[in-house]
Formats: sequence, structure tokens, C-alpha cells
Amino acid sequence: MSVRSIPHARTKGRGGSAAVYALAAAAAFLLLPFGRPGRPFLTLDPAFRPWNIDAPWLWLLPVLALVAAAAALAPLPTLRRGNVLTFAGAGAFLVGAVWLVTTRTPFGMGALLSLCLLVVVVGYGLSLSGRVRADPFVASSILFTGLLVLLLVVYPLVTVLQAAVVVNGKFTLAKFVATLQTNRFILIENPFTPRSEGALVRYFALAGLVLAFAWTLWRRQPALRVVLITLGGGLAGLVVGLMLFARGAVPSSLTLAVIAATVATLLGLGFALLGQRTRFRFVKASLGAFSVLPIITPPFILAFSMIFLLGRRGLLTFDILGISSNWIFGIPGVALAQILAFTPIAYLVIQGSVAALDAALEEASTTLGASKWHTFRTVTWPLLRPGLANAFLLTVIESFADFGNPLILGGDRNYLATEVFSAFAARFDQAEAAVYGVVLLFVVLLVFYAQARWLGRSSFVTVTGKPSRRAFTRLPGGLEAVLLVGFAVWAAVVVALYASIIYGSFVQLWGVNGTLTLKHWRDLTNAGVPVFLYTMRIAAISAVPAALLGFLIAYLVVRQEFWGRRLLEFGSMLSFATPGTVMGIAYILAFNTGPWLLTSSAVIIVLSFVFRNMPVAIRGGVAGFAQVDRSLEEASTMLGSSSFRTLRTVLVPLLVIPIVSGLIFAFVRAMTAISQVIFVVSPGNQLTTVLLLGWVEQGQTGRAAAMGTLLIVSMLVVILLLNLLTRRRGGITGEVVA
Amino acid sequence: MPAPAPVRLEGVTKKFGQDVVAVDRLDLAITPGSLVTLLGPSGCGKTTTLRMIAGLEPVSGGSILIDDQDVTRLAANHRDVTMVFQSYALFPHMSVFDNVAYGLRIAKVSGAELARRVKDALATVGMVGLEKRSPAALSGGQQQRVALARSLVLEPRVLLFDEPLSNLDAKLRRRVRQEIRDLQQRLGITSVYVTHDQEEALAISDTIVVMQGGRIQQQGSPHELYTQPANRFVADFIGSANFLPGEYDGSSVRVGPYRFAYEQAFPKGAATVMVRPEAVRLASADGTDAPGGGEAGFLPGSVKSVSYLGITSELLLDTPLGELASSVSGEGRSRFLRGDAVQITFHTAGVYLLPEGGEAGL
Repeated sequence: MSVRSIPHARTKGRGGSAAVYALAAAAAFLLLPFGRPGRPFLTLDPAFRPWNIDAPWLWLLPVLALVAAAAALAPLPTLRRGNVLTFAGAGAFLVGAVWLVTTRTPFGMGALLSLCLLVVVVGYGLSLSGRVRADPFVASSILFTGLLVLLLVVYPLVTVLQAAVVVNGKFTLAKFVATLQTNRFILIENPFTPRSEGALVRYFALAGLVLAFAWTLWRRQPALRVVLITLGGGLAGLVVGLMLFARGAVPSSLTLAVIAATVATLLGLGFALLGQRTRFRFVKASLGAFSVLPIITPPFILAFSMIFLLGRRGLLTFDILGISSNWIFGIPGVALAQILAFTPIAYLVIQGSVAALDAALEEASTTLGASKWHTFRTVTWPLLRPGLANAFLLTVIESFADFGNPLILGGDRNYLATEVFSAFAARFDQAEAAVYGVVLLFVVLLVFYAQARWLGRSSFVTVTGKPSRRAFTRLPGGLEAVLLVGFAVWAAVVVALYASIIYGSFVQLWGVNGTLTLKHWRDLTNAGVPVFLYTMRIAAISAVPAALLGFLIAYLVVRQEFWGRRLLEFGSMLSFATPGTVMGIAYILAFNTGPWLLTSSAVIIVLSFVFRNMPVAIRGGVAGFAQVDRSLEEASTMLGSSSFRTLRTVLVPLLVIPIVSGLIFAFVRAMTAISQVIFVVSPGNQLTTVLLLGWVEQGQTGRAAAMGTLLIVSMLVVILLLNLLTRRRGGITGEVVA
Repeated sequence: MPAPAPVRLEGVTKKFGQDVVAVDRLDLAITPGSLVTLLGPSGCGKTTTLRMIAGLEPVSGGSILIDDQDVTRLAANHRDVTMVFQSYALFPHMSVFDNVAYGLRIAKVSGAELARRVKDALATVGMVGLEKRSPAALSGGQQQRVALARSLVLEPRVLLFDEPLSNLDAKLRRRVRQEIRDLQQRLGITSVYVTHDQEEALAISDTIVVMQGGRIQQQGSPHELYTQPANRFVADFIGSANFLPGEYDGSSVRVGPYRFAYEQAFPKGAATVMVRPEAVRLASADGTDAPGGGEAGFLPGSVKSVSYLGITSELLLDTPLGELASSVSGEGRSRFLRGDAVQITFHTAGVYLLPEGGEAGL
């Protein structure tokens, strides 16, 4: 072999590309308008040319950019070059950002472009100076993702908080307190009923107190625990009392969450056990199919079809049973809709921990002389408990955040999620909407926190090494029969609901005129299909950055070490945890005026989809990276590859499946989302789900059913295509692990 | 001016968090063209040291020089150093050819030059004709060779090996390690090799650096380390050893009732006597074949257990000074049974004195 033909100076050119970025930033500043007068993005308004802007210090931006370019080209030691690039780039960035924020001018193309390029310059600086131990690509990516999460997740939420406590530029809790005192928020003493709800609630609290105290005496608890448990019992009694007798958004949402989460968790557990231990293969297969439904269905579609089936003129209630009642409009109806929608979610979560159960553990218990019941109580149940708690808390969160079902079936009650929207869209009170948003966000984050704290420590799923593949003991015959009947009923209801949507799109007017017709489908082609196609386009456009950004963040969080890594992870997941209505009001409040003016455009819809669905791609990416041995990247690095090249030539090809899944899930979620986008749609930027919800509210049920059918069927096709793709390419991820 | 060295570590330190010191002020200079092995138990800092040389792990203190150029802050992909990984780390989605060509393409080598160099590298490791295969279709040994070719083709300044044989079965391991050694000597590539297997280290190295607790315990040729261990840790880690309390009077060593001549320089007084198991000689206590040189005497003992290993037997002996392991080869390996009384003497070639306690470093 010949010796030494690889040039040693592989570091050449790094300064050069930093100079190109810095010069491009200066050029963008000079050639494009820095601000814009109104909503349109692509203007060349001469008023916002730099020389027409009355702020001489703004010229520091191109000057500092040129300093950075000069430093990049000058023969400086790497360290000093890095420092100059960092400070000159950051300085120029700040000059531009400060001008935008202080003058509250909407950003122009020049500002957008030059600020982005300056971020890259700072990335080079941080990398060369060693402040971030990574190459310029990674350093810039960290900055970019951090800034994006800050601007599009954290900043809107801060704006909501601010809107709730700042009125006319002054900090005040008056609006907050006033909102919390309205009957809509919570009403204990109802003046229209003869009984005293306040007294009843007090009795419940007292009963809880007494019962808990008695329990502590019976179990001989130490003094401190006696006090704590007694107080806890009192609080529980109070809450139950409020749930039963008080009205308003807080008790309604709470009652709903408790009912929906409890039933969905129990059904999920039953179905998970059934799926693992039944003799009937058909049941196992159909369980898998049912778990896909909530992904492809907008959350409120079931509520809508429940009206067809169970409403005043419902097929089941009126035509068969002869009842005409409004019982589904209120907590029972919403709870039923949520149970139908969330049981598959609970099933998927619990199925994970059921699958992790080791048959040998139960066999060991049996050989040690335990009865079936004793085994269940001492072995199976403790191992399942974390999974159940997880499913329960997740469905609680989903229930609180659910917007569509309460909107359609809520009746005369108020709910936290819908109040955010009614305050904003019906009462035109942004501050009140913000207060409801803050309360809802607080409740949901509290539950998330409880979930992380409580379940973070007590998950048994990973404890056992290899799950054994032995057959499980069958369920006791009686239990299996009950579960089978339960599943059959559940499946029949779900099938009936979906069928009634399809059928409903072909009848004149449901419940009144049952003649078959294609009228609604004809209407749909005029009124619905253009919106549907537009939504497809927006969803597709937003899916690409959502998937790529999610993959990039997963890469940074899993594979890189840097200051703020945890914060980036938390910030990007925050957009997932936040209820859609809260994010919606946050986007409206944050991007309606000022430097980040974006409302009434397709851009804000795309951005809200991107940041709402990105966490799904992050999760997929994180799971994917866990399957790829780190040494592959290290090998690539040792062979001279930059991290961007490694990402492109090694990681992306190996992780095609998670990336494509992220892409498709982002697309489907965008197509079926309602709660966030209902705030940001505008005339000319109408979306399928919002239009559909409007039709339901106007009573245009046939047309709505046709649209729902179109949506569900097309999403089903998309998911099936994904399944086909992952199954065919599935082998590749398997080989990577080896 | 120190002698030229392709790799020089000066006071290199690695801390994880505030308290955990993985590598502690390490100084090391590597001779051009030699193969240096970092040897030690897991957690001794050997892999961390290798990864710091590679640039995969940031250095907490000190500096690393490659060809007298300070690379401490240079990114791994600019160091002109390549590495063979324990898992081989072949890119599963690329053919053998593309794997080997990967680094060349990054260095902007293309066309006929690229094809020629890939072919040369594969020829060097005896893998011609398998260019189109996917790594998954190769055996472990073949994968290892491709990984080696992929590193060699760049003609790096230093070649690093991170436990490259630990995924191979015992027989293949011997063969591949010999191939690596032959290739390294033929090409004269300066190499740093990490392993926890002392036999592998003895077989392959020009120099062995024994590490423990993030520090170098001893550094030298395999023979030096085996025959003159600097301390008890090295003695125990390289081969196996018995340690007995003894006393040195300037010309002979006394161990219990047993006294034998010892000629190497050592301070008088109490000492720890290291005895290799194969240097333990046994005679039946009935006196039929008592050792010659009556004055030396012997250490009395009895056989506690016998493990028959084929070519040798390992006997565990009970003595007044504690347990003693002995390795008996030849006919004697089946002569003694459990419970037999024996007279124990030592081959002086397998005896080495350490300061009392034997824990002192260099």
C-alpha cells in the first residue's frame, strides 16, 4: 500500500463556509425588506428597506455580519475565530431581534433570512470555540431547534399566561378571580333547586374526613399519617361531593374524566387480558384492528354518529325502543363517546404491560401453592398496576383535553376545554379564554407530572430479562365469557356507529326522511372536496417538517451531549402535553400582532400542525435510535465523516421506517385534528374537520356524514399503506440490531 | 526534546461528573510502528483512554499529541486515526465494497483510484471476491476483516482496536489475532489495542500497558511483565500467581520453614513472595523423591483438590502459610490425589519478590 495519501488538513474550508453564511446574512439584510406592513409575507415594501428605517443602530447587523465573515477568512487560531464568530453572530442576531420586538414590526423576508443565517454563523462559532462539543451542523441544529421550540411552543404558552393576568398592560389577578367566580366555572349552590348543594358537599367532605380517620385508627397509623390521611379523605369527599352536586366547567370536566378514564381503563384491561389469553384467534385479530380506529377518526365523529344512533330520533332509541330522550346531551353522552374513543388507547397502553408479564412468574406462584385468586392478587395485579395507572392517567388527560365530543354532546353543561373556545369565539373575551386555558393547562400538566413522578419509579416492565414465550394459563371460564360478551357488545356498538355514518351519508334526512339519495355526496363535491383537498395539501406540507424536525430533535436528544438537552426535550414534548384548545388560544394570542404576526394565513396552520405532531416523530425517532448501535456512527466519524454526512449516509437510510411512520402519522393527525386548528383557521384557509364540525352544528347531518366517511376511508387507506410498507421493509430494522 | 512518538499522552485525565475519575493523569508515549496494548479489568480506564485518543470522548485535562501535533481539541473525524470496533460496526445497508470505500469517498477519492485502493485493502485482509456481499451475509471473522480493511484503506497515522476479538469464538480468536499481528508488522502501522484478555495481550503486543483505577500500573514487553511484575496487581493480572509472606536476607528467601537462594537485587527484610503456579514443584512427603540440596528444605502441605485439565492439572494445596495453587504438567499431573501429604519447593525462575504488601506502584 502506498503511504500517506490522505491530506492531513481536513479542517480546511470550515472557516470559508461560515464566511459564506455571514455574507449571505448581510446580503439578505440589504436586498430584502426587514419588516412588512401587514399580513402578506412576500412584499417588497420600500418602507422597510434598511435605508428607509429610522434606526441607525440596525446597521450594526450587517456590520457585525461582515466582522464575522472577515474573522472566518482571516488566519486566526481556531479558538479565537470561534469566539469572534460566536459574539459577532449573536450580536448581529440580537440587533435584528431587538429591533423587531421593540418596534413590534412584523418580520419581513429579510429579517427571517438574515436571522436564520446568523444562527448558522453562531453555530459555527460555538463549534469552533469548543463551547458546544460538536461540529457546526450539530451546533446550528441545537440552536435552531431550541429557538423554534422557544418561539412556537414556550412563547405562545407564556402569552396565554400573560393574557390571563395582565389587563391593559397592568398585572392584576382581578380577571382571574372574576372568571373563577362565575357560574360557568363552578357553581355549588344552585338557586334553582330546592336542596342546598353547599350543605350536601359539606356533608360529603365531613363523611370523607370521618371515614379516613376511622380507617387510620383501625390500621393503627402513626400520628402524622393520621393527620395526612384524614385530610386526604376530607379532600376526596369534597371532590366527590362537588362532582355529584356542583355544576360548571370544573366539576363537569372532572366527573367526565373520572367516569371515562375508569371505564376505559377497565375495558382496556379486560380486552388486553382477553387478547393475550383467549382461545379465539378472531378476537385477537379484531382487537388489533379496533386499536387503529382512534388514529384515523377525528375524535368527535363518534359523538356525531351517536346522535344518529342514540339521539332523540336515534335508530336504536327512537325507531327500535321507541324512546325520544335527550339523555345523550350531557355528561352521560360525552362520557360514552369518550369511552368509545379512549378504550383503544387504554388497551394499547395496558397491552404493553400485559405482554411484559412473564408466564413463569404465575407458574412459580402456582407451584408454591397459591390459588388462582391469590396468584392474581399477589403477582399479576402488582405487576399490572403501573400499566393500569398509566392508562388511567393518559385517558384522564385525553378526557380533559377533548374538545369535539363535549362541543357536540355537551348539552347545557360547561367543560373546561370548550369554555376556552366559547369565551374566545362566542363571548369575544380573550382574557377569559386565557384564564380557562391556564386552568386547563395546569390541571393537565399536574396529571402528567403525577404520571412521571409516580410511574417513573415503579415500572416493572423492563425488570424481567427475556419474556418467555410459554402459553399463559387460560382465563377462568366465567371471566372469559364475560369479557367476550363485553367485547362483542363494544365491537357491535363501534361497528354500528361507523356504519351509521356511512349510511347517514346516503339518506335524505336522518330520522325524518329515510329515502336513499346521493344528494349529500353531490353537495360534498362542491362544498367539501375543495376543502378536503386543501386540508390534504396543508397536512402533507406540515408533515414533512414535523417528521424531519422530530427526527432531528430525537437525534440531538439521544445522541448528543449539550447544555439544555433536557430543556429541549421537555419543551418539545410540552406541545404534546398541552391540550389542543390551549395551544389554539395561545397561537391566536401570540401570533396575532407584533413581530411574529402570522394569523389568517396558511403558515400558522402549518406551524401549529408541525409543532403539534412533531412529538410523535420524536418518539418514533427515539425508539429508532435505540435500535441502532452507537458504534456505527462512531465508525463513520472515525472514517472522517462529519455528523451531517453520518446522519445522511448512515442514520437516515437505517431509520427510513421510523421517519416514514412519523411522516404518515403527522399527516393523519393533521387531517383529523380539530381542537387547536379551530382557532387558527380563517376564511380561505378552511379545514375539513372545522367545516365538518360546523355542518354538524348547523344540522347538515347528511353532508357531514359524507365528509366523515370520506375522511375515515381515506385515512384508513393511508394507514394500510404504511402497514404494507413497514411490513415489507421491516427486515432492515431487524438486521440493524444485530 | 523527547524521542519522536506517533502518539503521546501528557497528563491525560478523564472525569465523569464531578467525582468519578476514569483516567488519572496518564502519561504514555508510543514508539512508531509498534503495537501497544492497554490491558486491564473492566472499568480500569483502558477503553476511555482509547476513545480519547480517537476523539470520541472529550478530555477533561492534559493533552494528546499525534505526530507531535496537539489534537486534544481536534474533532475525531479530523484526526486521521481509524478504529476497529468490538461490534465491527459495519454499515448494514452498504455492501462490503461501499463499507471499505466509505472513508475514501469522504476524502474525495473517486473513480479508478477508489476502486484500486478498495481492492488493495480487501486483498490485504484476504477478502477479494466478496465486494458485493452485504455484511449480514458474512461470518464474524469475515466481518472483522472487512472492518480492518475499512480502517486500513485510509492509511491512518494510528490504528485503534477496541476489543476487536471479543465477539469471535475461541478458535477463531487465536487465528484472527495472529492475522492482525502479522498485518500490523508487515504494514508497520502504529497501533493501540485494548483488551481485557491477558493471553491475547501477551500474544500480540510489542508493549503492554497494564491499567487499574485509571492509572498505569506497569508498562513493558510481555516478557518483562510476566517475569518482573511491578506489583501484586500486575503479577495477579498477567498469568496467575501465589503470594506468600517471606523474608529476604540478601542472598536467600525464607518462606515459613523453607529457604531458597534468590540472586536479584532487593532490599533486605520482609517481602511478599510471588510464585507462579507452574513454578511450584511437588514431591511426595514419604521421602521417596525428596528434592536435592538438603539445606533448602521445603514447605510442607497437603493436596486439597485436584482439577484435571488435560495437558496440566491444577492442584490446590493447604500449607501453614495458606492456600497455594500449583500447575503440574507431564506425568506428575495424575500422581497426587486429594489428601496426599506433599513437600513443596519452587523453581526460582518463577519466583519474584515484591515489597511487603506488594501494592506500591512504579
